[in-house]
Amino acid sequence: MRAWFQRRRKGASRADADAFALRLVAPALLIEFLFVFVPLAVGLYYSFHSVRFFQVGRFVGFDNYLSVLTSPAVLNSFAVTAVFAFGSLILTFVVGFALALHLERDGRVAVFMRAVVLVPYVISMLVGSLLLKWVLSQDSGVPQTVLGPLGIADFSVFADSSSAMAALIYNAVWRDAAFAMIMLLAGLKSIPLELYAAARVDGASPWYRFRRLTLPLLKTPMLITLVRLLMHFVNSLTFQLILTGGGPVNKTETVALRTFRLGFEDYALGRANALSFVVFLINVCMIVLLVKLFKPTEKLR
Amino acid sequence: MSYVRVIRLRKIGDFLLNAIIVLFALAPLLWGLSSSLKPANRILQVPPELIPSEVTFAHYETLIENQLFHYMANSAIVSAATVALCLAVGAFAGYALSRFAFPGRNLVMLAVVTVMSIPIASLLVPTYTLIANLGLLDTRTGLVLLYTAYELPIVIWIMFGYFNTIPRQLENAAMIDGYSRFDALRRVILPLAGPGLIASGLFVLTAAWNDFVVAVVMTSAEAVRPLPVAVYFYLGFFGREWGPLLAASMVSIAPIILIFVIFQKYFVSGVTGGSVKG
Repeated sequence: MRAWFQRRRKGASRADADAFALRLVAPALLIEFLFVFVPLAVGLYYSFHSVRFFQVGRFVGFDNYLSVLTSPAVLNSFAVTAVFAFGSLILTFVVGFALALHLERDGRVAVFMRAVVLVPYVISMLVGSLLLKWVLSQDSGVPQTVLGPLGIADFSVFADSSSAMAALIYNAVWRDAAFAMIMLLAGLKSIPLELYAAARVDGASPWYRFRRLTLPLLKTPMLITLVRLLMHFVNSLTFQLILTGGGPVNKTETVALRTFRLGFEDYALGRANALSFVVFLINVCMIVLLVKLFKPTEKLR
Repeated sequence: MSYVRVIRLRKIGDFLLNAIIVLFALAPLLWGLSSSLKPANRILQVPPELIPSEVTFAHYETLIENQLFHYMANSAIVSAATVALCLAVGAFAGYALSRFAFPGRNLVMLAVVTVMSIPIASLLVPTYTLIANLGLLDTRTGLVLLYTAYELPIVIWIMFGYFNTIPRQLENAAMIDGYSRFDALRRVILPLAGPGLIASGLFVLTAAWNDFVVAVVMTSAEAVRPLPVAVYFYLGFFGREWGPLLAASMVSIAPIILIFVIFQKYFVSGVTGGSVKG
């Protein structure tokens, strides 16, 4: 391996530096190419063919796309995804922002509290959803104890479509508010304190400082957070798969779960790949927005 | 109202708010822990006991009889291999992006940010199609390669940011002293990049250890099954027997919580990925 890197050690010409840099990035590019870009190409190929299990059949043009996009189950899943993603997005962002403002100042308590809030985020999504499923189920005795005094002790959270959706959104906020908090805290930290001091000297009220200083200066971090959260919620699978299983009936079956079932329960790989691509195109729009915000092609310092 | 009283009220308000936050964040975990220590007949009792009056490790013993250690070992092997591969490949790439204006650099940066943003779930079906064709289904190697592909961009991004903070004069000096470019990187720069490597390593470790979605799709054999998938299968196997299920959940999150408590500040840089420049 060393020999490979040192092949052109003599001289310090530009070409030499370029070759060295390319050798350093080559392994990473190879892995990304093989396991991200090739799957996309293979999936695209499958989506235009009739596939029975792994036997790729004849070319069918857009048939898979048409059959997927006209299926009532898929259309339902788009509607469910919209409700889940936007509900979770708004609540997670608001709670995360509130937490960031509350825990902004560095101190022992704030550092401890940030760690506490992050615990649901760092543990596996599977276990997080499983624990909430346990807490919210009748088996744990928690709903009966809480709802008993209201006279609805046998109310089952997962049997009613609105409360099942509420449980999903609750799961999302519980886990991801910490992510929003961390992203926004990093943004808040990058605002120079002198600006606040100057505003205070000029007699600006806290609300005025928040509205005219914090919000405008936090625009980019807020947008990045919103887009990353939205992508996460549109594509999340574990919440639905574990917490509600898409039920009752298919009232909480999102697109990600529908695709998963089409692919790994029905083994309809042609249609599943077609649906994956439809969702992927939606993601591409969000990715383009994110890349614009990141500006990765800025010149080297 | 006097100033002192306002401050005191504020402190009480802050304390109450913090108590509510702690309760919401941790209650499900503590409740799960408490229930996993109760005997089977007490778990389903209504109204439930907050703290078990009788503590038993029976559910944990049931898990050990059901190959818990085997699944943990699978998870550990896959996670460790993923971290090693990600750091080895990612650190070099991050270094190249930080130091050289080579042709195609912008394209590589774009690819890094793009792949970092692609949600794994949207790739699941196509990737399964590919992995099945490659014969990598039901192998630990397949999992390691996939996790590496998914986590590499964040490693590159973190390392890129970290190398940017190390002055270039260091390699220049080392090269004047006769080191080759590669030796300057290996002997001078990499030893200084420790914090960046730890931050990205922890991020990858957590992602690989926690992953459920990729593993449940790409493996079905018990021989290679990682812990989260095992927990999912316990869900079917034990059904409403919550004891072993909650015990398995606790075993699966304990190492991550421990690492998190020790290395908290490194986690935060991994989560933001240096993405917030304001």
